[in-house]
Amino acid sequence: MSDDSTLSPDDHDPDDLLAAEYVLGLLDGAEWRAARDRALVDAGFAARVQTWEARLAALNAEFPEMSPPDLLAKIEARLFAQPKRRRFGWGWGLATGSVLALALVAAFVVLTPQAPRVPGLQAELVDESGALVLSVSYDRSATRLSIATTGPEPGAGQDYELWVIDDSGVPRSLGLLAGAATEIITDLEPGQVLAVSLEPAGGSPEPVPTGPVLAAAALTEA
Amino acid sequence: MQDEISAALLRVARKDRAALRQLYALCAPKLTGLLMRMLKEKTEVEDALQDVFIRVWDRAPAYDPEKGTGLNWLCAVARNHALDRLRSQRSRRQAQSVPVEDALDLAASGPGPEGQLMLRAQMESVVRCFGELPQDRAEAVKGAYLMGLSYQDLAQRHDVPLNTMRTWLRRALISLKECLDR
Repeated sequence: MSDDSTLSPDDHDPDDLLAAEYVLGLLDGAEWRAARDRALVDAGFAARVQTWEARLAALNAEFPEMSPPDLLAKIEARLFAQPKRRRFGWGWGLATGSVLALALVAAFVVLTPQAPRVPGLQAELVDESGALVLSVSYDRSATRLSIATTGPEPGAGQDYELWVIDDSGVPRSLGLLAGAATEIITDLEPGQVLAVSLEPAGGSPEPVPTGPVLAAAALTEA
Repeated sequence: MQDEISAALLRVARKDRAALRQLYALCAPKLTGLLMRMLKEKTEVEDALQDVFIRVWDRAPAYDPEKGTGLNWLCAVARNHALDRLRSQRSRRQAQSVPVEDALDLAASGPGPEGQLMLRAQMESVVRCFGELPQDRAEAVKGAYLMGLSYQDLAQRHDVPLNTMRTWLRRALISLKECLDR
């Protein structure tokens, strides 16, 4: 078996190798989190990740086809469960007659045309030490993001800044965290990733994070 | 050029529920095979398959047919979900090794019925490029991709020190890149 002595990993672009290792799933713990954070906020790195995914995609042919369990009903139940009626809506409707009830239902349908599910999203962002915790909930009908922060304050002359990253990989600032409780009105979707970075006071001078990304997590259905 | 799976995925992106059923019929066998390879346990696979289709429903708008086939996009979503599960399993029982029963065999399962011309050409170059690697290195890269093995798992499996495995893998990845991009 020949050896591969001419190829030294040290000479190769370390970002490209990191992207390959990330795609293969070789990384664990802190290394994995660091690579994931890079993929979230660094468009150049995200592009390398995509290129490696494409390079290795032909290996998918080696996964066998197997008779699948019939889970479609469960999946549909999880996705399309009827939204729960709010209690006061019921009371009003019954008390004031069917016309108002119909109007309420119509208003509900008009206000939430694309939200067949209960309109809440959530995420929990925890930094590596476990000390900084952001408990995030998002009210989709009010488009209101609420962030409860516990843990160390940012240092003097520093702020925590919150970001959202969608599948394009480009981060968008949602603003600075204001102490223990912050509310932000913004449009968010399930699957988008929230990230918090440590920035100079007043926030990143660039359109992307300049400080370390401390934690990130995807928004999921509450 | 659009295959049936990609077309269904684009309709799922527009929240077409019938398309989700069609996608399940078309892809659940492949994704079940993928998840069984990586996760091994039936109940874990069933939970994961549900989660994968939930993710697909939510993330389908991000699928870009210019960048690859629908099936490869779905496999990436499923692989990443399986890797998440394996990582949390590993962090739960740290030093123990992940059980590995089946040996890797490149020829064990050929391309599925979806094997179109482009896929076949891609497959051929991957087979050729893996063929240029020393056999144990090729197996290690495939072990990571197909079974979600970490550096630690691979070092134990091949009975080499962790740093040796890192160097092997990195050299193999550089060779692969040069060959595949040729």
